[in-house]
Amino acid sequence: MDGLYLYCLREKTKNSPTISSKGIDGDGEVFVLAYRQLEAVVSKVCFEEFGSDDIFKKAQEDLNWIKEKALAHEKIIEQAMRKDNKVLSLIPMRFGTIFKNKARLEESLNKDYCKIQEVLERIQSKQEWSIKLYLKDKEKFEKMIKEKNEAIKKKEQELASLPEGIAFFMEEELRETIAEEVDKELSTTMDVLFEGLKKQSVDSVRNKVLEKELTGRFEPMVLNAAYLVSEEKVENFTEVVEDLKQEMQAQGFCLEYSGPWPGFNFSSYENHD
Amino acid sequence: MTNLLSTTVNRNNNVTLVDALDKVLEKGAVINGDIVIQVADVDLVFLGLRLILTSISKAEEVSGKSFSDPDKELTAEDMEYIKRLQGEIKRAEENIPKLIDLGNPKKTEQGLAKLVLTLIELIRKLMEKEAFRRVKRGTLSSVEIQKLGLSLKAVKKKIKEVQTIFGIEDEELNLDLGPLGNLM
Repeated sequence: MDGLYLYCLREKTKNSPTISSKGIDGDGEVFVLAYRQLEAVVSKVCFEEFGSDDIFKKAQEDLNWIKEKALAHEKIIEQAMRKDNKVLSLIPMRFGTIFKNKARLEESLNKDYCKIQEVLERIQSKQEWSIKLYLKDKEKFEKMIKEKNEAIKKKEQELASLPEGIAFFMEEELRETIAEEVDKELSTTMDVLFEGLKKQSVDSVRNKVLEKELTGRFEPMVLNAAYLVSEEKVENFTEVVEDLKQEMQAQGFCLEYSGPWPGFNFSSYENHD
Repeated sequence: MTNLLSTTVNRNNNVTLVDALDKVLEKGAVINGDIVIQVADVDLVFLGLRLILTSISKAEEVSGKSFSDPDKELTAEDMEYIKRLQGEIKRAEENIPKLIDLGNPKKTEQGLAKLVLTLIELIRKLMEKEAFRRVKRGTLSSVEIQKLGLSLKAVKKKIKEVQTIFGIEDEELNLDLGPLGNLM
């Protein structure tokens, strides 16, 4: 028996290009189901692969399976987002939502119809952009802070005139003070940057930073943010970000931005049972 | 409509692969389907995926072939091929240090040196903490503080020296105590 895997919801479109990617199962055709003013992008999936209890086990254990499926999920949403030269507003679903049949899906859409419309209205003509910052050169940043901190400078001068053994203890203390100062300054810098970019956007989210093990990068991530930007302001947004990128580079940071993404961070709607 | 709306910025590299997975597995709208595939503990799943990604890029280096071509779907054969390469790489990785070490007596002792140095470093840190406590209590004369400080500094430098001889990085001076986490 077949079920329907749901990728995303969008407003009814005219002559939207067909989605050429195969469905999440690697075989099924991706198609659009219209419901009132909405369109649901779905594909048929076989309950044998996706319906049994085994799937939970598979999702936990077979990481290659998850990776392959999660990327397929993203790729299809990505295609559903494009029409001619435009980026369509849509509500991307989290990975792994399946309905037994069309009637069950419509039931669910009917129940949440108003909320879905609200979200679509809110994100209409807006794009999600990602900003990530990494602390690439900690020494550079540390040096900058030391130079403008009078208390630290004074301590360092004092140290120079002390006997070596006594200086050892003060050095250790000073190192701690500097580390604290660096943390404080880092957190302020990120707050200012995050808040500053808010002006260029209509909504923003600060996500938790990803561990080194997850990013696969040597330098630590210090900011992980997403912004919802009005279409007509995107050009301006990327210009501002590009300037920031240079500015932050001078302070020892590496700024990376990417977009437009499907609105993963801005399209959830409350779900009442 | 400006052209920019259709351009995609920085979206074709490995970094964004992590980004994509992060979004798909953790964010996006949640809707009550008849079946909802749960991915529990996203961080852990992620970590595992990261390892897979790393080994794939290693396999790429070896074969000179890119698996990250966005238009190319991985077939069962490809996966089999990657698996085989991963096995090969692992075997080689385990063998190379043994070969190198044959010609380097210092390196052969590195494992042992690391263990001993880790324990010494632990004791050094404990001593240093105790010394700080006493210095702050104000019961030591300045000569005593001077001597104590110099001793601690000497031990610290000595550990660094031995580290250099055996080619051991600072981060390596630690022990994984399993469920207790790291020693330091």
